[in-house]
Amino acid sequence: MSLDRVPQDFGRDLLKRLPQMTHDRISGLALSNAKNNRQYFRYGQSIRAVRDTAIGVGSSALVVAAGPSLHRKQYATQIKDRGFDGAIISTDSGLVYCLRNGIVPDLVVTIDPHAKRIVRWFGDPELSAKCLQQDDYFSRQDMDRAFADELAYNREVLALIDRYGSKVRLALSTVSSEQVVRRAIASGMQIFWWNPMLDDPQKDGLTTDLFDMNGFPCINACGNVGAACWMIAGEVLRKRHVGLLGMDFSYYDGTPYRSTQYYEEAMKLVGERNLDKFFIRTHNPYVGQWFFSDPAYYWYREVFLETASQVDFKTYNCTEGGILFGESVSFIPFSGFLDMWTAGRFN
Amino acid sequence: MSELLKGNFKVNKAIDDQKSESTAEEKFEREALRKLGGSIAFVSRQKVMWDKSEAKETKRDK
Repeated sequence: MSLDRVPQDFGRDLLKRLPQMTHDRISGLALSNAKNNRQYFRYGQSIRAVRDTAIGVGSSALVVAAGPSLHRKQYATQIKDRGFDGAIISTDSGLVYCLRNGIVPDLVVTIDPHAKRIVRWFGDPELSAKCLQQDDYFSRQDMDRAFADELAYNREVLALIDRYGSKVRLALSTVSSEQVVRRAIASGMQIFWWNPMLDDPQKDGLTTDLFDMNGFPCINACGNVGAACWMIAGEVLRKRHVGLLGMDFSYYDGTPYRSTQYYEEAMKLVGERNLDKFFIRTHNPYVGQWFFSDPAYYWYREVFLETASQVDFKTYNCTEGGILFGESVSFIPFSGFLDMWTAGRFN
Repeated sequence: MSELLKGNFKVNKAIDDQKSESTAEEKFEREALRKLGGSIAFVSRQKVMWDKSEAKETKRDK
């Protein structure tokens, strides 16, 4: 079954419904995970402790996210060659990229409550061929090519995280799955707990329920883990200049629809003949290229730009691709960000 | 007019004035959309709440 009639701008039409769709998708699981995770709180401390820790030199930070540009650009080489010593904050999905390139991030952030998928970024000790038959989420996407052989890749990730786990500080969301929490503990990560806002904290609701349950600070993650890294960089670590890498919020033109995150769900909803109406195409004038997004990723862009206009720190998108640009975000090459850092303009 | 008529008589047949049941397509759409949501919520005009009193202070400031 799929919808009988699909409007021409169906993807854009969904944007106003994204807050409710997100609530429906995660709220029940998030609260359930938060309750279950109480037994693990003793393995970590509040993210308040990070606020009082010197993380990275100076007032600059880089967020490493795992959008498609991560494997098309040479971010890691530039970070190392230029000797960048500001804070490096990675999404869970960007951690292996960093470690493989000899970079141990100063802080890693994880947030999504999904039971099976997020643990894969840390290596899933319970992954089997049977599991993979039931979920092709990773193998079909436009991500790290190594995911094509998922079991071998998982073994590599397990070994990598086991090796470096004790050096990793993890900003661990209280709504993360038990699988992620247990993996973080088993690999020796230093855990800092925080609550993602699930609704307006000024009214009694899910966010205040979380706070009453555990007392950890509540952070507006702005829809996704990359934005959560950015918010933590500016509002928890108090960095004044935050650069973004791999924050595409989109796919490169020409990427097969099948290689996108929500492909299976989009197919069920609108059918193959209507997929063009589901995706949103955007031209990036800075790089002269077209990109396309599913509604969730375009929503991430909109809420990021809105929030970036309200914060007191400066944001530089150094992804060199994707759709995150606007008045509140400077879209510059990564080399330009590093030039400013080298020249002392972030002091 | 409806206020004047209210409760003036009884009808033999029970009237269901609740909103009609969703169609199968509406149910299907709602279920499908649930899977297309984002990773986590976005809360407009909020950053970090370190403690509850701080949130209330912010509210008073507005």
